Amino acid sequence: MKKPSARTLFARLFGTSARGISVEKSVLTGYAAADGTKVCVIGTCNGTYIDNAAALRLAAHVIDCIEHHPKTPIVMLVDSAGQEPNRVAEMLGLASYFGHLLSCLELARRKGHKLITVATGQAVGGAFICYGMFGDRIYALDSASVGLMPVEAMSAVTKIPVPVLRKLSKTMPSLEFGARPFALLGGVEEVWSAKEDLQKRLAKAIKVATTEDNRAELGKKRGGRKLALDIRKKVLAAASR
Amino acid sequence: MTRGPLFHEQTARQRIAALVDPGSFDELLPPPDRITSPYLGQLGIPVSFDDGVVIGRAKIGGKKIYLAAQVGQFVGGAVGEIHGAKLTGLFKAAARDRLPCVVVIESGGVRLHEGSAGEIAIAETMRAIFECRARKVPTIAVIGTDIGAYGGMGILSTCCDFRVMSEHGRLGISGPIVIEKWMGKKAYDSSNRALVWKTSGGKTKYLLGDADALVHDTADAVRDAIAKLLGKSSAVTLKSVKTRQKELARRLKRFGETADPDAVWKGMGVRDIARASLASGPEFAAIARRGK
Repeated sequence: MKKPSARTLFARLFGTSARGISVEKSVLTGYAAADGTKVCVIGTCNGTYIDNAAALRLAAHVIDCIEHHPKTPIVMLVDSAGQEPNRVAEMLGLASYFGHLLSCLELARRKGHKLITVATGQAVGGAFICYGMFGDRIYALDSASVGLMPVEAMSAVTKIPVPVLRKLSKTMPSLEFGARPFALLGGVEEVWSAKEDLQKRLAKAIKVATTEDNRAELGKKRGGRKLALDIRKKVLAAASR
Repeated sequence: MTRGPLFHEQTARQRIAALVDPGSFDELLPPPDRITSPYLGQLGIPVSFDDGVVIGRAKIGGKKIYLAAQVGQFVGGAVGEIHGAKLTGLFKAAARDRLPCVVVIESGGVRLHEGSAGEIAIAETMRAIFECRARKVPTIAVIGTDIGAYGGMGILSTCCDFRVMSEHGRLGISGPIVIEKWMGKKAYDSSNRALVWKTSGGKTKYLLGDADALVHDTADAVRDAIAKLLGKSSAVTLKSVKTRQKELARRLKRFGETADPDAVWKGMGVRDIARASLASGPEFAAIARRGK
């Protein structure tokens, strides 16, 4: 599947209002509209790395939205390779910068902002965990690379041969890489094709979103992550005995 | 100081036994329940009857808490579907029952053998942690083990109200070996233990304000620190995030261009680097406070 350019994609999601999104070093901030619904936009493009400064800029924009645009839905676009392994970033506490971004998003959620994620490009590992996976509802384009890592990378680290992982991924979608297998696990609500009317899709997604984390339920229903919900329920039941 | 095993040398169950009031621990989904990872089974990798995390109810100083301890000896304490679901369930129980939740972290992050399932589990646990925080239920991460808190578990620890660290603990996302591979041995020699600990260790994290307590490497010291935090919670408010935004921006401005951890220590008020390096956790905390 051909990957659309960042600006083309913004136009598909937000129409002419996409002009309100500024891109600086592949970090997005701004305000736009999806099919007439005003939204705040944060995110990444061009598969960029998210470093301490990028996390701070995204957090600052979320704070701006909470302060000046109460209850405006926040759309999070994800196209990032995650954190670049870097000693100085670690020394300065990159994890804390990510934790701060997550705290800002949580505050927004508590204050009535809906949080909608659209994985548009790379949404791999830490890049997805540090903001995108924190959405109320998470969507992905079918062209997006969603998941922990491709099987080749998994094989390199775990020393399990690629053919073995590929064979197992037929019955275990969590080992497979991509938007659709990720949706089977419940990690993505719905996969969108770039051919669809993305503005309408996004506007509807905002409308129907609730703050309840439904991923374990979805994972069980779709059969890709069968255990998580039951284990969680077992813990809750055992704890009340 | 207590004469006994060091916290970082203990196993998860030993740590729990040493942390909580004697006999107060009640394990939930204990090993006899035989809940094991189907992923590892199919990959021909040994499974563990607790899937690498011990969870349960306990008391500290008579106060009821929920408590989890990751088992570093099992796949590096990495989070798979079951492991993660146990953590999510525990934090959800804590939110529901309004009891503090403590997690003793010993993990490199997501369990690669289970692919994206572990990744989603960490994200779900983060949501559950913030459920606790919204209800003013204290959440405390303890980081004082050899493996430390890395990857998704490093990020998860920063979602908790408080982090208790020992000098031995490390908090980060990418570990030293990964960074060395990426940047080269010149930029980061992962065998240089002093550099590794000054990059991600408890002392540096305490100085910068990412750890709330820096304690001796003993269960007694960790328990005392937890006990002091059990009645507190740190609410996420507009004021708190704006303050944090300023702090983190200032930190990046001051130290973003330096590769030298000693410059960070000096900048944060440590005058005698050699003395501070050898100081115990609490001594170091005192030195940092006095600016010596």
